[in-house]
Amino acid sequence: MPINRPRFVHGKILHNAGGGIFYRMEVALPDRIEFAPGQFAMVSGWPGNDPLLPRPLAIFRARGARGKGTVEFVYKVAGRGTALLSGLHEGDPIAATLPLGRGFEFGGEERTYWLLGGGVGFSTVFPAAVFLEQERSEFEMFLGARTRDQLPPRDWIPGGGLPGRVHPCTDDGTAGFFGTVTDAVRDRLDRLKTPERRRLMILACGPREMLRSVSSLALPLGIPVQASLENHMACGFGVCWGCVTEVREEGKTSYRRVCKEGPVFDAREVVW
Amino acid sequence: MTQAAVPDIRARVGEVLLKNPVMSASGTFGYGLEFTPFYDISLLGAIIVKGLSLEPTAGNAPPRIVETSAGMLNAIGLQNIGVERFVAEVAPRLADAGAAYAANIYGRTIEEYESVARRLSGVPSLIAIELNASCPNVKEGGIAFGSTPEGLYGLTRRVRAATGKPLWVKLSPNVGDIGAVARAAEEAGADAVTLINTIVGMAVDHRKRKPVLSNVTGGLSGPAIKPVALRMVWEACRSVKIPVIGIGGIQSAEDALEFLLVGAAAVQVGTANFRNPNACVEIVEGIRNFFIREKIARVDDYRGRLVL
Ligand SMILES: Cc1cc2nc3c(=O)[nH]c(=O)nc-3n(C[C@H](O)[C@H](O)[C@H](O)COP(=O)(O)OP(=O)(O)OC[C@H]3O[C@@H](n4cnc5c(N)ncnc54)[C@H](O)[C@@H]3O)c2cc1C
Ligand SMILES: Cc1cc2nc3c(=O)[nH]c(=O)nc-3n(C[C@H](O)[C@H](O)[C@H](O)COP(=O)(O)O)c2cc1C
Ligand code: FES
Repeated sequence: MPINRPRFVHGKILHNAGGGIFYRMEVALPDRIEFAPGQFAMVSGWPGNDPLLPRPLAIFRARGARGKGTVEFVYKVAGRGTALLSGLHEGDPIAATLPLGRGFEFGGEERTYWLLGGGVGFSTVFPAAVFLEQERSEFEMFLGARTRDQLPPRDWIPGGGLPGRVHPCTDDGTAGFFGTVTDAVRDRLDRLKTPERRRLMILACGPREMLRSVSSLALPLGIPVQASLENHMACGFGVCWGCVTEVREEGKTSYRRVCKEGPVFDAREVVW
Repeated sequence: MTQAAVPDIRARVGEVLLKNPVMSASGTFGYGLEFTPFYDISLLGAIIVKGLSLEPTAGNAPPRIVETSAGMLNAIGLQNIGVERFVAEVAPRLADAGAAYAANIYGRTIEEYESVARRLSGVPSLIAIELNASCPNVKEGGIAFGSTPEGLYGLTRRVRAATGKPLWVKLSPNVGDIGAVARAAEEAGADAVTLINTIVGMAVDHRKRKPVLSNVTGGLSGPAIKPVALRMVWEACRSVKIPVIGIGGIQSAEDALEFLLVGAAAVQVGTANFRNPNACVEIVEGIRNFFIREKIARVDDYRGRLVL
């Protein structure tokens, strides 16, 4: 049986190597996993109790056949947990609970998707690009970084070969668009005609400030935004209520679990 | 061929006989059903569901959790669906799954505690009510009642009168004399005491010069609190005749066995479920295997046999 609902599995690292400031880790699992773009795993497996909690990482890619699978994660060293992961080697054990959360939704109608990845947020939107390419849907990508060396390695970008499809953006102007992802989206929107805008759907993952600014730009123009949030988590499967974000529905606000009702939210509902 | 003796790992908590001594701790196991993708939840001694209140509760503003050394702080603020929805939607499904389950409850006032307890009394499959008199994260979370023997006595007596279900009283570790508090619960008619709830703690971001949690303080759980929990369970066991349920930092069968050894009738596993959703069933298996290896026939042949 492929793993398509949450399971706790033990795996072994096949490789774990850096590409710029990012690491890419492939893990052998007891079975093939099926996931939706935007879903994630809670990764642990280091010995000892410190750090204690598993770390959420987007499922970047999954392959394999019956009884044998692999999963890939892409991560940036942000603190103790990811530093520990970066020190693991081929053959080291790892544990993960996966697949978790609700991923992106792809509507039935004809759409042009804009995929926005700020920082390591590209790890969440690349699987959406792979899916859209298979579906032969139209999409473009906006990838933001502080500076040139912090952009994702070119050969990791799915469907990146098509001219005009990928828009790198750097805060310091060392590569691509000089400015933030939100600035680049604004710039590109200004040059679109209304019918073209009507077809747009934005899928975004990155720092909360980027998600907020993109939403306040796109939503008033009637462009739907699906935002993938990165709150701190303890369990990742909806049992601790630690990861909540405030949402507004029918005028009332409440707290929803990012790990269960998200991590992807309709940006109109999020109280930014 | 000689047959390996199968140990009897059933555990008795007053009149309640559990399949085994391992329960999931309230607030770390959702409403139980969330674990059905991982394993058959009827394998557990019992499931203690998230703290229930009379009305649905929104909980505290985020951030609600932060990791600390070998532990974590939480200030969830008892977000829950309320007792009505639990009874209507969740309880029947837990019963269908064959799970033994108890409800952790709290109220803002003694009257609310009584109402929640009364509402749950009519649920046949519910094995017990666990009175949360010890949540450190909401002013009304019972801590006002749970921090003194007198307060706890008053609350427990009233809830005792409101329900015929076995009543377990969950104690706060944030008190001076745990033995006195446990005795107050016993005298007021509790069938068991459960301890420990989380220890009040705090985390600070020295750059932002701000507390990490929006609630400023939170409750510490995980391996970091195990030595404190073990000591308090040991003291409680020496202070009361009713069963004591041990909780705090249990991650493995070995940890659980230590709690049994100081006298706990059963244990609860909380934070360990986050890293390993299978933690509870792995601990059940670990206890069983230990009993087989050590030729221990039943829980009472091991429980409370600490050699001093
Ligand atoms: C659904 C999801 C998918 C993700 N996917 C990826 C991915 O594919 N790749 C990737 O690299 N990252 C991803 N992340 C982010 C990743 O989980 C974090 O970077 C990681 O958990 C950091 O762990 P750490 O131990 O390295 O850092 P930590 O030591 O935990 O801390 C990192 C930083 O966060 C701060 N911090 C800690 N606790 C809190 C708190 N409660 N509130 C506010 N700040 C806090 C710390 O002070 C520190 O500055 C994802 C997150 C989510 C929720
Ligand atoms: C996120 C979280 C939520 C909790 N919610 C409750 C609760 O609703 N009611 C309660 O009595 N205890 C609650 N607790 C306390 C646990 O049940 C347990 O007493 C404590 O975490 C210590 O055990 P542990 O170290 O195994 O986690 C909660 C603990 C955590 C970590
Ligand atoms: S991380 Fe536990 S509920 Fe979301």
